[in-house]
Amino acid sequence: MKALAMALLLMSAATAIDFSGNWSGSFKVEGGDHHGVPQLLILKQQGHTLAGSGGPDAGEQYPIENGKINGDAVQFELTTGEWKFTYRLRSVEADSLTGTITLESPDDRRTARVSLTRMK
Amino acid sequence: MLLLGITGSIMAFEPELDRLLHANLSYVTPVGRALSLAEIGESVNREFPGEPVVAFLPSTSTRFPTQVILSRGIVSVNQYSGEILGVRARGRSFLGFVRALHTRLALGDVGRNILRWSAVALMLSLASGLYLWWPAKPVRIRARWWSAGCVFDLHNAVGIWSLLPMLALAITGIVIGFEDQAAALIDKLTHASPARTDQILTRPSSQPGSTQITPDEAVAFATAQLPGAVPYRIQMPRFGGTYVVALENSRDRVTGERNSIGIDPWSGNVLTMNLSGGLTSRERLMAVNEAIHTGTIAGVPGRVIASLVSVVLPVQFLSGVMIWMRRRKNARLQR
Repeated sequence: MKALAMALLLMSAATAIDFSGNWSGSFKVEGGDHHGVPQLLILKQQGHTLAGSGGPDAGEQYPIENGKINGDAVQFELTTGEWKFTYRLRSVEADSLTGTITLESPDDRRTARVSLTRMK
Repeated sequence: MLLLGITGSIMAFEPELDRLLHANLSYVTPVGRALSLAEIGESVNREFPGEPVVAFLPSTSTRFPTQVILSRGIVSVNQYSGEILGVRARGRSFLGFVRALHTRLALGDVGRNILRWSAVALMLSLASGLYLWWPAKPVRIRARWWSAGCVFDLHNAVGIWSLLPMLALAITGIVIGFEDQAAALIDKLTHASPARTDQILTRPSSQPGSTQITPDEAVAFATAQLPGAVPYRIQMPRFGGTYVVALENSRDRVTGERNSIGIDPWSGNVLTMNLSGGLTSRERLMAVNEAIHTGTIAGVPGRVIASLVSVVLPVQFLSGVMIWMRRRKNARLQR
């Protein structure tokens, strides 16, 4: 029984995703412009929490807040000014993250679809 | 059409209505000197310890408070006393919903597609209305009030007197609805590059151990580049990497707000400068188009006209439906 538990533990450790690294891609707001908005996320995993920064490029980065990891899913927030971005991402394939962003300003709420790949 | 008209007439006065709906967060009584941004930031930090300031929105009038953006929301601060008036949380408000209805029927991509073609339909409807009006050319209401003839006269008279501003709303609405295609067309006609890029003057000088300049100093460095312009937004370097000071040039009604200057938080050097004078033809034309659509191109009178013309849209729609129904009924009776 102990051996089985150990094997399961080792298996889950082997398949656990390390979100740390640089991820690039874009998001597209529902009902917004047709072109995507570029994204560069610099993620730093610390156990089940996530830190780092994100923004459109390396020169414009905003600190990650309330970053949480739950298996292959990750959730965090970025405040860029009037808008707050809440990311809900999932790793469906190796080295790729997809999901949604909820964008909230003092008077509006929008949703966007986001797709990111790990930068080598 | 009904929805576009009603929501458009409300949106023409969005800033004023927003202040009215959040009156407790929107007004101050000027007393003595206004506090510096650093002092206002300290007041906010005392109330919300450990929450870094994302950006300052300095007051643009002595009657309006300074706003401070935090992660939790927008804090209104009396710039004369440092008193925290309250926090506005993020999320959809009534006016936000009105805007969502006007721009995308609050339905995302589907709503946006319906609306862009509605603008085309409005244009066609104006053309057909002019065609039907032309033979008799009625410009006044001659029939008795509340009679069937009155509705017909009202539709014709209101339609012809509001034709030009309605046409302006329809054309500019089409351009907004088909923004990507319009932008590509402008680029092709003007042989311009798709969009301007940040004018980077120098790189930030990271100096660990030294202290950063204050937001007030950043404003001073930025305004020196554009004398006479008024700062309306200061982004803090923790959120984006540099101070970014947005300035409004009141002499330019259309693109006067499109000035931003990046300031090195360590040296105070100007890092980036994006001034309205450097806008591409596409950006300028799209801004003019939007200013015509919202009426802001002519200031408050322009916004009043835009609002009134928006009200005309549901009037014309309803009177048009009434005329059509009456004719249909008459035709059935004659058969």
